[in-house]
Amino acid sequence: MPRVMIPPPYRGPTQGRAELTVAGASVRECLNAVEAECPGFGPLVFSEAGELQRFVKLFRNSEALAHGALDAPVADDDEIAVVAAIGGG
Amino acid sequence: MAGKEAIDDRLIRVDMTTQSVSVVPFPEGWKLLGGRGLSARILLEECDPSCDPLGPDNILVLAPGTLAGTSAPTSGRISVGGKSPLTNGIKEANSGGNPGQHLNKLGYRAIIVTGQPADSGRRWGLSVSADEVKLVEADALKGRWNYACCEELTKTYSKNASFITIGPAGELRLTGASVACTDQDSRHPARHAARGGLGAVMGSKGLKYVAVDPGKSRARQPGDSKGFAALVKKFTRNFLDGPQMFQFGTSSVVPVANMLHTFPTRNRVSGQSPHAESLDGKRIVESFETRGGGMHNCLTGCVVKCSNIVHDAEGKYKTSALEFETITLLGANCDISDMDDVADLDRLCDEIGVDTIETGAAIAVYMDAGEMEFGDAEGAKRLLKEIAEGSEIGKTIGNGAAAVGKRTKHHRVPVVRGQAIPAWDPRPLKATGVTYATSAMGADHTAGLIVNPGLPEDQWAQASQESQLINAVCDSSGFCQFMTPTLDDIRQFYSALFGEEITREQIADLGWQVLQDEWEFNRRAGFTAADDVLPDCMAQDPIGPTNAVFDVKPEIIAQAKVRMDAREELFSTKATG
Repeated sequence: MPRVMIPPPYRGPTQGRAELTVAGASVRECLNAVEAECPGFGPLVFSEAGELQRFVKLFRNSEALAHGALDAPVADDDEIAVVAAIGGG
Repeated sequence: MAGKEAIDDRLIRVDMTTQSVSVVPFPEGWKLLGGRGLSARILLEECDPSCDPLGPDNILVLAPGTLAGTSAPTSGRISVGGKSPLTNGIKEANSGGNPGQHLNKLGYRAIIVTGQPADSGRRWGLSVSADEVKLVEADALKGRWNYACCEELTKTYSKNASFITIGPAGELRLTGASVACTDQDSRHPARHAARGGLGAVMGSKGLKYVAVDPGKSRARQPGDSKGFAALVKKFTRNFLDGPQMFQFGTSSVVPVANMLHTFPTRNRVSGQSPHAESLDGKRIVESFETRGGGMHNCLTGCVVKCSNIVHDAEGKYKTSALEFETITLLGANCDISDMDDVADLDRLCDEIGVDTIETGAAIAVYMDAGEMEFGDAEGAKRLLKEIAEGSEIGKTIGNGAAAVGKRTKHHRVPVVRGQAIPAWDPRPLKATGVTYATSAMGADHTAGLIVNPGLPEDQWAQASQESQLINAVCDSSGFCQFMTPTLDDIRQFYSALFGEEITREQIADLGWQVLQDEWEFNRRAGFTAADDVLPDCMAQDPIGPTNAVFDVKPEIIAQAKVRMDAREELFSTKATG
């Protein structure tokens, strides 16, 4: 099953877990599966309209996904990395 | 060769009591030291930690990072160091702009300013070039705001020169005063070594500016030039192929911080602001289309380009860079909702030469104490102008949040060792709170920021220690924290620079030594473990849906200062600030 890598700022809802293995055939399904298992994660990555938050970037197997590619297919051995801006002076 | 260059490198020593300058060889034993690490070593060896920070025995250090002046990307930052008049402990404040790499290209690894002129009304400038280093009279620039001062300096010095200046706040020796460095393109004094009041130290020495003219000096040549070039290419490519989260500046962090309840509002009574939408950095990016402005890099060779150039409604330049911390402390924390007002406040802080974090916190305490309405942007601007005028209230605000708290006898004064807590709140971010409690710098997010709300309690101390060590090395190297180098990255660059292997053990020891030098300075200055605490308001005032307070046990806090065995994370975790 695909793995979703959780960035440190978003590990509150995941109780500190950095990685979740979830069922899903698309990026959106995988992220929704994380929310189902870890309520509170969803609003960190999805806007109210169900689009990816502007300040979040997604990588599939270390390759950057286009911002609107939530419906991109995901294979069983894929790794989806969620990256969020942190830090700031 | 870098090895040879290290032998040819020099120190500039300036004695402001006698107004004399000497140039001496750079000690071979300090070869790896630069920036923050060099500043800490100089201060520990040469400065009396019990001295009056605004007296003749304090020392002001201006030290470029070790890699500054090389072709390593985004590596030209400079550290300003001294005993802080705000915290009364050791302080390092770090800045972008070009002075750092200009100094290193000329072979000057640090400027060390000692003494104090007998006439506190006089002003001097330090002129640095390949041909000579000299003090020049600068009484004509006395009281000048930073932008006007730099504009005047461009008439005297070459078009390639960069400047380090103080504004009226530094000249008034106010403990929130910053040291400004000029941008690489516009030469605006928009980069600030802001925290800890080092502008007051520079002002106490009668030094109004330092001008550095690199002339025809070339980039520093590495010992292993081929290896260094390969590293530069790989490191740059990896960064550009990565997420580049600060492509539109740190102001883009506002919505994330707000979601994580670390967007302090109304003197930190809340971690979320009703104005998060209007204060979102997206508003700045949107303004580029109608007003002009845009993104740029503050120092030559930077590939991050996180600095925004903000224009007003008429399309004229207003300020640069309008960053997350400024938007938070001068915006949300004061309940000021209009980005244009925050831009005005940012410009005023840069002109007068004060730390935007400290000043925002000071104004918020003033508002919270009932002296002014929250959200009164015009009132905040008036207060800043009063700082420059040296009025009684102006001086209180310019001296920072603790001074305002003392004057108003207010109960909620969020400072650690006298320095205002930055935007990143220690209540939901407890490991960051451990950094604030233990760092010799006081509450300083750049000393070790861990944004990981889910981190278990038994990892807080180690996460803080690792982050502090990593950032100490980063701040010594000249790399910008937004380039996010790891210890492995930095030691590989050092290895190629010096043409010798720098091991993991050596780079970790280097970072730990910086922390130890700083803690030792503070110990000699009179600080004890009893000072490694956060203010009561952080333990008593809950925020967020979990009613988070800073309730970290003292024994956990103490663990952060006892060296732990290095694990893989120490070398592979990126610097974050």
